[in-house]
Amino acid sequence: MHIICLVKFVPDVSAFNYDYNTSSMVNTHTKMVLNPDDVHALSFALQVKRKWPETYLEVVSMASPSVTVYMHDLLRLSVDKGTLLSDPLYAGSDTYATSEVLGTYLKGQHYDCIITGSRSLDGATSQVPAQIAQMLGLDHLLDITEVDMNHLSSNEAQCTVETDTEIQTWSIQMPAVLSFARNSRAKLPYPTFEALQKDVSGKLFMISNQDLGLKRDSVGLEGSLTKVVHTYEAENMSRAKTVVGVNDEGIDLLVQFLEKRGYL
Amino acid sequence: MRNERIMEHLESMLEPTQINTDAADLYDASADRYKKYAKARNVLDVPPPLAIVYPKSSEQVSDLLVFCNENLINVIPRAGKTATEGGLENWKEQTLVIDTKLLDKIIKIDTYNMQATVQAGVPLQELEDELRKEGFTTGHSPQSKPVAKFGGLVATRSIGQFSTLYGAIEDMVVGLECVFADGHICKIKNVPRRSGGPDIRHIAIGNEGTLCYITEVTVKIFKIYPENNTFLGYLIHDIDTGIKVLREVMVNGFRPSVARTYSEEDAAQHFYHFHKGHCVLLFMAEGPDLIVRATAKAIEEAVEKFQDGIIEQVDSKHIENWFNNLNWSQQDIDDEFEGMKEHDCHSGFTTEISADWETIPKIYYSVMKRVREEYPRAHDLTMLGGHSSHSYINGTNMYFVYNYDIRCAPEDEMRVYHHPLQRIIVEETLKLGGSMCHHHGIGKFRNEWTKQEHGSAYYMLEKLKEAFDPNGIMNFGTIFYQEAGAKYQ
Repeated sequence: MHIICLVKFVPDVSAFNYDYNTSSMVNTHTKMVLNPDDVHALSFALQVKRKWPETYLEVVSMASPSVTVYMHDLLRLSVDKGTLLSDPLYAGSDTYATSEVLGTYLKGQHYDCIITGSRSLDGATSQVPAQIAQMLGLDHLLDITEVDMNHLSSNEAQCTVETDTEIQTWSIQMPAVLSFARNSRAKLPYPTFEALQKDVSGKLFMISNQDLGLKRDSVGLEGSLTKVVHTYEAENMSRAKTVVGVNDEGIDLLVQFLEKRGYL
Repeated sequence: MRNERIMEHLESMLEPTQINTDAADLYDASADRYKKYAKARNVLDVPPPLAIVYPKSSEQVSDLLVFCNENLINVIPRAGKTATEGGLENWKEQTLVIDTKLLDKIIKIDTYNMQATVQAGVPLQELEDELRKEGFTTGHSPQSKPVAKFGGLVATRSIGQFSTLYGAIEDMVVGLECVFADGHICKIKNVPRRSGGPDIRHIAIGNEGTLCYITEVTVKIFKIYPENNTFLGYLIHDIDTGIKVLREVMVNGFRPSVARTYSEEDAAQHFYHFHKGHCVLLFMAEGPDLIVRATAKAIEEAVEKFQDGIIEQVDSKHIENWFNNLNWSQQDIDDEFEGMKEHDCHSGFTTEISADWETIPKIYYSVMKRVREEYPRAHDLTMLGGHSSHSYINGTNMYFVYNYDIRCAPEDEMRVYHHPLQRIIVEETLKLGGSMCHHHGIGKFRNEWTKQEHGSAYYMLEKLKEAFDPNGIMNFGTIFYQEAGAKYQ
């Protein structure tokens, strides 16, 4: 089986710093992490490869070259090939323009199955997997929680999808786009010490717009259909921390705080 | 000697309650806080000791050491278990951990002669609490104060947070008793000073269990004036400014009990409520009123002299509150251990070095540059910074601090993350003429640089080992490099 796994690296929201004086995010030194839904998708692909070692696994990401070190880490996990779609023209792409870039690349590739996460941590629209499926003329399943390894082949996959009200089992014809819901139990395996020492740069391929040949006005900000009307600061980010001492004054303040919110 | 025979001998020498062979305790005794993540994940690669034994007297320590010496059984002396550099890690199949648990008596508190004598297993906190009742202090306050015990403090050349005023443990020890591998019990008497040849206290102080077993310690005590404590704190532009102010205060002859400066990154994790993204400089002055006032004035003058680097003064309450919550408790250590079972991250790994005033900023910036340029896992670092926390008239220390996400197998953590970082820090420090270990000791993971650390003076260290531990039974691998132990490094 030939699997292509689409992944995105997103800012690590747990490591954000907030400047309470200027009410702004401090983005310096922000770390990137693999999008949690994509972790689920990739961990599934690696399970498939463990069970059927002849499986060919390619990881594709559209990002700036700064994610190269993170792509290298994925290539140390028995991923066969990494592809980074990267061009300054792609900066500012919305989900439509992103799907355009990814879809154009995928049109020229061989695959039995395209897998990815359903939502990205920094966007959460879940539009990209569906748009890619449409561009490629494939079926698509959103929010997969499990794929039955006993009913998985290059022709068909049996998948479980959980909605708010029910658990559904679907059988889907391959090739297809399977997008995975977040699963906090899904973890990528550890690379071995030996794998960490390996130079894997030869397995990572950089693809620019020169290779894909997309028109300038179909990508990046120009090619984006999304128009930002207004931005606002999430209310919870403006809450300042209050440090109280272990004294009568501090205890009174804490009690008032809890009473005001109905905890006492 | 076979293990069964060793156990039979131990049973003939000690009561059953003095011998511990509980599997969980032996696993715990096989490594210290150096490999705490691997330990928490149950993937330690070192052998457990055969037993932990608890002697009740110096004579029993002597008997145990004679037995081990004659039968080439490795000995690891152990006290409060707060070692951070692998000094308590076991690298031998046949090892006895000799624990100070039952050497737990405060022998004498002598407030007239300003000294206190304790057995090696007395927790520092216990003596401190007794002294405070009478208005005195040990003046020694390492972060591990609630847990650490005197035997370990002396054996590792410990230092406390108030060292700039009171000195480190080597400045406090008046006399001590220790036992050598051949069973000889030595008692160094308690006098204010002597010129009776070399100062032999220093054979025991800092020996890290490689030359002798410390059984009793006498330390100086000090009057305490908590009502006079004065705190001063500043946000500053860079760590260089902080070091310049620290130097100014020290070379002008003042001794604040605390004098520290933090990089932006390190300040952010300690002082989240006031750092504002800047470096931090802070002081605490303590002692008699006139001395405190003079010290505070000298600090303010030093700050004024380097005002171009000062951003603003911090509310002293912030500094005071921070100090009041600085020490670890056993609960903190246990919580950290449990946390590491759940999360793939390591917070607060440190490598501490020292150098003269001129050299310390050079080491700091060289290390930062090399880590950024050379370290292949730099993208996993969640924090890299440092602080100076112990100053002297001729220089200061630098505590490099780093946190990282762990993206490798737990058993590989040290060689993927800590060791390459530690190597850069040690290499840059030694290259520029500093000391690779300011106060944690060498342990087992900086032993490859012990010769380089001491240079031509290593001759003296080597001869001490040959003289006092000719069979090499004392804490194999600590301080002195051992080829056979390299597989665990």
